[in-house]
Amino acid sequence: MSELVSLSLPEKTFILHGIDVNFRNDGRSRLDCRPIELQTKIMDQVNGSAKLKIDDTEILVGVKVEEDTPDENSPSEGKLEFFVDCSANANPIFEGKGGDELATEISDALSLAYKDVFDLTELCILPSKKCWKLYVDVLILACGGNLFDAVAAAVKAALYSTEIPQVKDAAVDGVEADIFVSDDIFNSVKLDVKNAPLLISLCKIGDNYVVDPTPEEEVCSSATVVVAVMPNGRTSGGLKTGYGSLMVETWRKAIQIAKKVGVQLNNEIMKALEEEEKLGPNRALFGFL
Amino acid sequence: MPSVQATSIKEQLRNREDGRKHDEFRKMSIKLGVVTQVKGSAYIEMGDTKVICSVHPPREIHNKVSFSPEGELFVEFKYALFATTDKRDAQLEKEEQNYSSIMKRALEPAVCRNEFPNFQIDIYVRVLDDNGSALAAAIIAASLALANASVPMKGIVTAVTAGIHDDLVLYDLTVEEEKLCSTKVSKENLDRGIIMQAMLSQYNQITEPFYSGNLDCDVLCDTMEALQKASENIHLLLQETLLKYVNKTLEQDRESKSVNKKLEAMDVNNTEKEPKK
Repeated sequence: MSELVSLSLPEKTFILHGIDVNFRNDGRSRLDCRPIELQTKIMDQVNGSAKLKIDDTEILVGVKVEEDTPDENSPSEGKLEFFVDCSANANPIFEGKGGDELATEISDALSLAYKDVFDLTELCILPSKKCWKLYVDVLILACGGNLFDAVAAAVKAALYSTEIPQVKDAAVDGVEADIFVSDDIFNSVKLDVKNAPLLISLCKIGDNYVVDPTPEEEVCSSATVVVAVMPNGRTSGGLKTGYGSLMVETWRKAIQIAKKVGVQLNNEIMKALEEEEKLGPNRALFGFL
Repeated sequence: MPSVQATSIKEQLRNREDGRKHDEFRKMSIKLGVVTQVKGSAYIEMGDTKVICSVHPPREIHNKVSFSPEGELFVEFKYALFATTDKRDAQLEKEEQNYSSIMKRALEPAVCRNEFPNFQIDIYVRVLDDNGSALAAAIIAASLALANASVPMKGIVTAVTAGIHDDLVLYDLTVEEEKLCSTKVSKENLDRGIIMQAMLSQYNQITEPFYSGNLDCDVLCDTMEALQKASENIHLLLQETLLKYVNKTLEQDRESKSVNKKLEAMDVNNTEKEPKK
């Protein structure tokens, strides 16, 4: 990935020394996250949506639900597909095909995280005939660092807000299956996201890891570990970005930090989402962007 | 899932189809310099998994506006059309792209990229036959092909695949075992997963820790530590292969030199004779 900002050597040294003494440029300690702003159900055209803002990072996620036929290999499962779009608004280098590499990297990480743990059986309507397919479309509006974590959190929030139409009746007519969806738009089923993982990226700078890095900090790092952490503290996938390599012991340390931070973040996000839901449809909207 | 079925899967994994122990690797066969038209190439067989890799010499990066102080790697991982049985096209293409970027990340730390600024090295990998652990085989083949192409490197990258099924840890999976280890679990606390660990064994560095599944963090870390030891053995094997290849080439070189000398001597004799005439 090409660098989003460029720093001189003294600037890098300054950041590195700050992190050595556990004091980052914006006053955080190594394991502190920046405040997250999260809002769900902000778009009318989709079944679920969320907008997330961490500092300068802005992510918009929409979830569409469509009818589909299940795969032969997994007849009783629905489908889930991620698509990430790095908008040229966020950074001029994303223009044209410039953002594709980063976009596939993020969507690959998302599918890796969800692949083995997300229960797709609840998306099945009629085994081997009909199922729901969820299209999760992620739009990166602005990047201020820590894209992996921000996207994963926004996706989880959007899935939480996703409402799947209630199926009134289903009938098999010969080979073709027909389903009848309830006319009442409020008659819908909520998606279960209690197992949905978050991505936690740990940026290795000097001998230490920092969570929720700013773009300046990302430039200083040789390797970033991305770990998918589930709410129960287990992990469902992991990879490394950047050109560096890691010792096994350093890796163990990263996993432990990720587990701790991931569980905490999962709790906080779920709490916030439940709180927002309690406000009901009359909640105050704070503008679209 | 009924318990009878669960135990039979476990039995199946415990008694592996090819009679291997849980931590035993399949037999490996490696050949270097198999493709004559490219700078470096390698062919590897791990059991039935067969992978061929070729490396092209550094060339200037196209359409690059700014100067890049470090060289770049371009990796293309592709299955041959007849390599896999039951994966569909779109899915396969996605997997190929994903594996290409994993390979790039796994190899990047090993290559001295500062030696060829503004240039890129192309690495093409073809999986001729996939019977499990194709990605690991591809990484090994690529690092050998890079060495064969005399690209400056900090070390050889080794890669090993392991599967976790509850308390069972299997090395070097076949396709069947890969499937069984990546099934979803209905109960909360059962470990399932596949780990592909690429390492620079000389320095005990992990260059790419890629895993998926549903795993406990401690189980994951312990398995990775065990894989570190396993890749040391593979590293020795690869070193020996390279050494043998270098010795063989040197010998051939010496032989051809001595033949040349003899020819030259004959030439000299001829030319010396001529003026005497």
